[in-house]
Amino acid sequence: MSIINATNIQRKFGEGNLTTHVLKGINMTVEEGEFVAIMGKSGAGKSTLMYQLSVLDEPTEGEININGTNVIQLTEKEKTEFRLNTLGYVFQNYALVPDLSAEENVMLPLLMRGYDWTKAKATACTAIDGVGLEGKYANLPAELSGGEQQRISIARAVAGKPKILFADEPTANLDTVSGTQVIALIAQVNKKENQTIVMVTHEREYAMGCDRIFHMEDGVIVSIEQLT
Amino acid sequence: MRSLRIGLLLGFRQIQRANFWTTTLIIFVMMLTFLNLIAVSGILVGLIAGSERAVQEKSLGDIIITPLTNEEEILQTETIRRILDTIPEVTSYSIRYQQGVQIAANYKTRRDFNIEPNVIGTRAVGIDPGAENTVTGLSENVVEGEYLDPNESGYILIGALNLDRYTAGFADITGSLEDVYPGDSVRATINGASREFTVKGIVNAKAGGVASFVYLPEKELRRLSNSASRDANEIAIRLEDKNIETANTVKAVLVNQGIDSFARVRTFQEALPKFITDIKQTFNILGTFIGAVGIIVASITIFIIIFINAISRRQQIGILKGIGIDRRAIEVAYVLQSAFYALTGSLLGALVTYGILIGYFDRNPIDFPFSDGILVAEPMGTLYRFLILFVITLFAGFVPAWIIVKQNTLNSILGRK
Repeated sequence: MSIINATNIQRKFGEGNLTTHVLKGINMTVEEGEFVAIMGKSGAGKSTLMYQLSVLDEPTEGEININGTNVIQLTEKEKTEFRLNTLGYVFQNYALVPDLSAEENVMLPLLMRGYDWTKAKATACTAIDGVGLEGKYANLPAELSGGEQQRISIARAVAGKPKILFADEPTANLDTVSGTQVIALIAQVNKKENQTIVMVTHEREYAMGCDRIFHMEDGVIVSIEQLT
Repeated sequence: MRSLRIGLLLGFRQIQRANFWTTTLIIFVMMLTFLNLIAVSGILVGLIAGSERAVQEKSLGDIIITPLTNEEEILQTETIRRILDTIPEVTSYSIRYQQGVQIAANYKTRRDFNIEPNVIGTRAVGIDPGAENTVTGLSENVVEGEYLDPNESGYILIGALNLDRYTAGFADITGSLEDVYPGDSVRATINGASREFTVKGIVNAKAGGVASFVYLPEKELRRLSNSASRDANEIAIRLEDKNIETANTVKAVLVNQGIDSFARVRTFQEALPKFITDIKQTFNILGTFIGAVGIIVASITIFIIIFINAISRRQQIGILKGIGIDRRAIEVAYVLQSAFYALTGSLLGALVTYGILIGYFDRNPIDFPFSDGILVAEPMGTLYRFLILFVITLFAGFVPAWIIVKQNTLNSILGRK
């Protein structure tokens, strides 16, 4: 059963002669529990596609259905709620709130979902334990390494058990060892929790654990590589 | 409610982790704004309050009885005196007699009759020195020589504004006596009758006409003016409490006793010279204007601080929105910071005002020509001004947060314009 269904996604920037056509009619589906990667050269449009699929941006044309909801028709407020309850994000720059401890960063979306403080704290600690950072609950992001910050970012993304996890080049700022650990963690989440994962990456070695790879070039999907 | 909870968490942590010196500086600015709002206008009002207080303490008393509009004297003065003796709130009163008087000095040493005599016209106030001193503390205003002794006769006190050395610059307009010191002789003339007095002391005070008059025992004044009437021109009354509520209560008692048929009864506030109430109103307006400028400066300061803070965290704000944090939660975080700055700054400002400045100015009033300025900061007025500052600060914190938060989420995350 497909959890993401995108039809004829087009994204243009600018107006008139200065218009840039970044996505040129993308059609794609992602099945529930699937781990897919979007790959392509710089400027191919892979991040732009992920922003459309993850409801952070709105396509110029086309339709996106996620978990049975036509997200194009949602208001800004509804999109925020949808992102909170259905989607999880891992950004390449970790995107942690610097003033909050690791534990509080993970608790933040849980509290927003309506968890009480105690339940949010317990869930956050479990998620942090799950990414192998036991005992780092009270550390501020500045007190963690890049790899550790990205793992906290993953804990934040998965703690509320979202339907889909979007990861935008999660290894871009990490060394090889940390990058491998992060990818292994994401794959583990996919296997253990049967969570749908959409990941944008440059590096093929990190995409090898995926079910499928969407290869993009110049705003279109040129091939779909089935790995499993 | 969820947004509020998240906003409070974000805001509290931002304050907690902020740079100590930056936070201190912002709070210091807010404290100065509060002081500008409360203390500057308080000093302006205090100039007049000091003048009012001086007039009440040194001239009018808490209640003043004067002649009816078409009368020159208070009718039935003895009856009024007996009534005053029966009112428990009245601790003392001073019955005053007044006459226009001509005072001449240096007449014994005047050799050249082509030169103008050293003469001034003023008002002579006949008093019971003991009673007057109890009501107004006149003896404390003697700046040279001594106060009148009730058992002596032939002595006079001269108000400093009648003397050349105290009125430098004004002497040509008002006329003044030259080289008159305690121990010198002066000649007082009322309705053609003259008598020589020895100057016992010089009186000076920044209140009403205290320093404009000359003072002598009432018996000597009535003898000089050849008046058999016992009806006085003023009765200044001192009460147990100096507040206006007590004055109003006692005034009502006096009116109930029918005194208003013989004389005009006024509280010190009603009897204040009109120029004082006019200046008070003007200074109030001026104080409000200065306060308003202070509030505008404070709100702009807070706006800039929050704007810079929010814009430097634009990407973080975008990410928070991206992961599903409601924009209201982010706005609450910034409003909380503004509230923290306003509350802490105002609290410190209030501590400085009530803990230091009011006491300091009470002990060391500002020496103005017409009054000793104090700092007036009524708690209710302070609360009112604080609330205005607080609300405007919250607004000044909210607007920049709102501007940044409403921007497109993805543009914020990517740092695009």
